[in-house]
Amino acid sequence: MAETVVETKVETSLGIPWNVVVHDDPVNLMSYVTMVFQRVFGFSKDKAQHHMLEVHHKGRSIVWTGARERAEFYVQQLHGYLLLATLERAE
Amino acid sequence: MLIRQLKENTIELVDIEPIEAELLRQVPSVCDTGEDSRSEARLFTSPANSTEGQFLSDWAEYVQPGLRQLFLSARTTVKEDLEKLPELKGRLGRLVVPRTHCDAWLNALNQARLILATKFNFTDRELSMHEAPKWFSRRDMVLQQINFYAEVQERIIDVIEDE
Repeated sequence: MAETVVETKVETSLGIPWNVVVHDDPVNLMSYVTMVFQRVFGFSKDKAQHHMLEVHHKGRSIVWTGARERAEFYVQQLHGYLLLATLERAE
Repeated sequence: MLIRQLKENTIELVDIEPIEAELLRQVPSVCDTGEDSRSEARLFTSPANSTEGQFLSDWAEYVQPGLRQLFLSARTTVKEDLEKLPELKGRLGRLVVPRTHCDAWLNALNQARLILATKFNFTDRELSMHEAPKWFSRRDMVLQQINFYAEVQERIIDVIEDE
């Protein structure tokens, strides 16, 4: 019985979608951030610029939502480009 | 200084002024944090909030070493490219860089700008100012250095996107 409860919790936890959030940074160039979004997520230039401007004007942008493991991978990629990126549970 | 595509697989930096060459040569050493905790914290930022304790611990153990190696590799690439730039002695210089090194250049220039901005506590407003100051303190000179690196990044991105 106890094992069943644990398995249910794990399954629920893994099923929660996660957001990849990019935060504003005064040093990273707008053109650089746009280029990184295109490379990491395969965004079109327009979509990449939309997210870049959201970061610039609102301080953050949710650039991707989905499975935890993939979200961790994207955050790692973004850190490799020195962007301020975090993962957080989707609401 | 002008940055442009030379051949399919190379870009060239031409008409490099001696002061520009000097600033470029400083990039690898500027990127060395010297274990300064604030600079380290900016290069290796937290990937999640503090409630993700195990994840943060795993990140520090397994991901950060790879990021450190990536950043070091970028600096090394730029340093080795710059070793091909001769001493200018008042003349304008020229440097040919393989296109495959452009990412390393963008990364190293970004590291340099982030570290300088952190060490000298530049505000958002200061970093968005592009007019030259009326007099030059060391801090003003560093801001000019940051802006110069930003211009080089912009030009490299232009060349990459023109592919």
